[in-house]
Parts: sequence; structure tokens; C-alpha cells
Amino acid sequence: MLPFDVELRAGEVTGLLGPNGSGKSTFLRMLTGLVRPDRGAASVDGARLRGDGTAVRRRCTYMPGETAMYGELSGAAHLAWFLRGRARAARRRATEIADDLGLPLRKRVRAYSHGMKRQLQLAAALGPDVAVRILDEPTEGLDPTKRAEVLALLAEEATAGATVLLSSHHLAEVDRACARLLFLSEGKLIADENTSALSDRARRLVRITWPDGTDAAALAPRLEALGAAEVHSRGAHASALLEGVEPRVFLAAVAQAGDVPTPTALAYGEHSLRDLYRDLYGVEGV
Amino acid sequence: MNRSVWQTALYALGYTLILEVLLIAAIEFFPNFEEHIEIFSQMAGVAALKTIMIQLEEGGVVAYVTGQQFFKGCNTLGTAAAILFAVGAVAGEAHRGTLEIWLARPLSRNRILTERFVVGALAVVVPVFLTSATIPYLCDRIGEEVFLKPMMLCSIHQSAMLFAIYGVAFFFSTLGSHPTRIALILLFITTFEFAIYMIEQATYYSIFRWTDIEDFMRICDSGELNPKQLAVMFGIGLVFFAGSLVAFQRRVP
Repeated sequence: MLPFDVELRAGEVTGLLGPNGSGKSTFLRMLTGLVRPDRGAASVDGARLRGDGTAVRRRCTYMPGETAMYGELSGAAHLAWFLRGRARAARRRATEIADDLGLPLRKRVRAYSHGMKRQLQLAAALGPDVAVRILDEPTEGLDPTKRAEVLALLAEEATAGATVLLSSHHLAEVDRACARLLFLSEGKLIADENTSALSDRARRLVRITWPDGTDAAALAPRLEALGAAEVHSRGAHASALLEGVEPRVFLAAVAQAGDVPTPTALAYGEHSLRDLYRDLYGVEGV
Repeated sequence: MNRSVWQTALYALGYTLILEVLLIAAIEFFPNFEEHIEIFSQMAGVAALKTIMIQLEEGGVVAYVTGQQFFKGCNTLGTAAAILFAVGAVAGEAHRGTLEIWLARPLSRNRILTERFVVGALAVVVPVFLTSATIPYLCDRIGEEVFLKPMMLCSIHQSAMLFAIYGVAFFFSTLGSHPTRIALILLFITTFEFAIYMIEQATYYSIFRWTDIEDFMRICDSGELNPKQLAVMFGIGLVFFAGSLVAFQRRVP
């Protein structure tokens, strides 16, 4: 991980995004004391991360990315095992959540599907009455209905005042559930913005395609002169982020500029956050 | 009760039963052995075996049962149990991918490792005491008299050796993620150590020189333990456990 500063707010679901190997799980493990950072500091709900992080883990819950479990234990026994060291009420609440999710708690975990194991872990992570919940890919392996159910549960938690940090590498899944997105790439925090601001940026993104063989990089300074705040190019494509300029006005200027080749395709106003990350940060896989 | 406690208790029960069955068979065989001891002595080829036969002839039933229960049974089965119980502690969790959920709970690493260590150590040594406690009764059945106290002293001495082996194996389990590989390496080393006990020139390099019939007979005859040997064996176990605690603090799931 490369150094960065970030503060998560209560009552908000924050999404930690990035492609595989970007450092999401490592960051979450560092926050919960499972991996020790070489330097730097963190605190969770007022508890500083020290030693093996026990004080931090008492103030938060962590749902690991691993789904390996003790197959010989029943779902109920697993919940008890996960929640060892927590108040009794945590077990009751976790059992309620697991029941609501339709998990067969009397069955041995070896009979559970991957998705059911994830839901059992989620129930355990939502059981304790803590202010912070840290979840490593909570929707991974779930069908769309369950995914929506889980995200709704997390939104409820945030509405109740909890700080929820979840990781995912599926931007399209979590952008509606998260109020804020942190984007990691190769261990580096490359974006930290609220989702509405990012969506606004995506709306201000214009993609231009010229005939094959055109060097879009050479045209970047010209596009900037025509009003683009940022230009990212690849082959015969360029993505321009507009700041204070209407896309139609910008595109008209491009069309009229005699020193800019005529584009073969233009797109604006329909970009997703995924396009934004791909075009602006050059990161694929989210 | 914790799942690992149940599991270890189950394995310990199996290990106790095997030790007990071997002990019953050996004690039942004693009258026959005593009757033909001269023939067995003549059959002993290597010097170390001849020494054992002399000890058995001189020590009678006490030498025979300590040889069977401690030198043979616990040094082999007990060592295997110590290694197998220890390697699963951390390396086993890492191997099956459960180390992260194990560490994700709000419990300190020192606590969870100490719990695991203590449970495993008890599983290794308690069967030694339990089975040894039946020796006076089993000997009585064949008309021989063996007292409980010397058997319990021998059990303490034997437990110290098993504790040391368990501590070493536990340390390597804390460092590794391949329990089978660690177990095979340690079993190979301890089997080698047991094998060289029988080789005249190499016998002094065998760790089992500290838990042989001569040692147990000395304990039975004097009614006292050897504090120096005990301190060294328990010390090794404790030093390796301390090393495990240090290594486990930085263990990555």
C-alpha cells in the first residue's frame, strides 16, 4: 500500500473499489489489525490501531473475503464461534438476520453454497452492536436478488448511524448503495469522492473517436484549448472531461476547428462510473 | 465448548485408547515374556537391545511396564500425537483458509494462540497420565505389584519430553501453512532420533536417551524426578511457545 489519508464518516456507506490486486483486502485487513502496516496510523471509533488490533476489532465488525469455514459445524454453531468475545445480544441479532436471509442454521456449513456462506458471514458481521462495519466483498457470489437485499441491509445500517466500509470490484453493483467511493489502484488511492460528484464527472465526460491511424495524443493540447479540463487519449480515441463548458458547445467547437480531424464517433452524457475510471484513470476490471 | 477443544478431545480419546490397548496387551503378555526372557535376550542382536534386555531382566515387571508404556508407547505414539496435534494449530488453519476468520474475532492473538497451545498440550499429556494410572490395576490382574506413585512420576518425566516436542512442532506450525509437510519433516526427524537410539555409536545423540528404561528405573528406584532434565525439557517447550507467540503476532492470514 502507498500512503494516503482518509476519514470515513458515520451514517455513510463507503465503497472501496479497485480491480483485483489493487490492495482493497490488504487495506481492510490493515484497518482491523490482521495485517500490520510498516508505518502510518489508523483509528476506528476512537480506538487506535495498536499491536494485533484487538481494541479496534472490539469496536467494529469485519467480514473477511475468505469463505473457507469449518464444514463440520452447523450455521448456528458458526455464528456462535464467529461471535465469541461479543455480547449475547449479538448472537440473537445475527440469528435473526440469518433467518431473514433464509439460511438453514441447523444444517452443517459443508452443505452451504458459496453465497450462503457469504450471507452467514454477513449475518455475523451485522450482529454486534458496533459503530463501524468493515466488509470485504459482501456481495461477492450472491445472486442479484440477494445482492440487492444485502445492499439494502447495509443502507439500513448506515441510516441507523453506522459507518460502513465495503469493498467490491463491481462498481455497477455498489455505486447506488454507496454515498462515497474510494478507488484504489496498485495500492494507491486514486480517487476519493462522493458518488454524486463522480456521477456528475461521468456526465461531463465526452469521448471522441477519429479514423484509425489518428494520433489522439497529439490532439490533446488542441482539445484542451477548446475547453477540455482533462484529456486522456488512447490510440485514435480521446476522453475529455469538461469543466464549465457545455458538451454540445465543446463538440461544436471540435467540429468547426479546422486543425482537428472530423470524428467518426462522439459520445457524451451516457457514461457510467466504470467508463469514467477506465477513461480517466486507465484502470480496467471494475 | 469451543469447536477445536471438542475436536482435540476426540483425537486425544483415540490416542488414549490406542495407548491403553497396547498397554493391556503388553501386560497380559508379561508372564509369557518373563518365562522366556533368556531366549529373548539371546535373540537381541544389537548392543542397545542387549542393554534393554539386561535392564528388563534386572528390573522385572516395573522395568517391563515402563519400557512398554513410556519408552515404547509414549516415545513413539506420544511423539506422533504431539506433532500431529501441534501442526494443525496454525498451519492447519492457514492450509484450509480459516486463519482469517479465526483472527478476525475480537480476541487477542496471544489469547487465541495460548488457548490452542494449552488444549493441545493437555491432549498430549493427559492420556499419558490416564493410561499410566491403570498400570497398577492391570499388573494386579496378572499377580504383579506395581505402585501408582512411581508410575505418576514417570508420567511427569515422559510428559516433559512430549511437551518439548509439542512446543517445537507448535512453533513450526505458527510459521508455516503446510501442516502435512511440517508433520512429515518432524516425524522423520523424531523417527530418526528413535532409530539412532539403537546404534551404539550414535545412541548418545538420541533425544530419547532422556526417556529410556534406565531413566524410568532411576525414577522408580529413587522415588524422585530429575529436576535438571525436567527443567530442560519443559524449558524447551516453553521457549518454543514464547517464540510462537512472537511469530504469531506478525502472522498474515
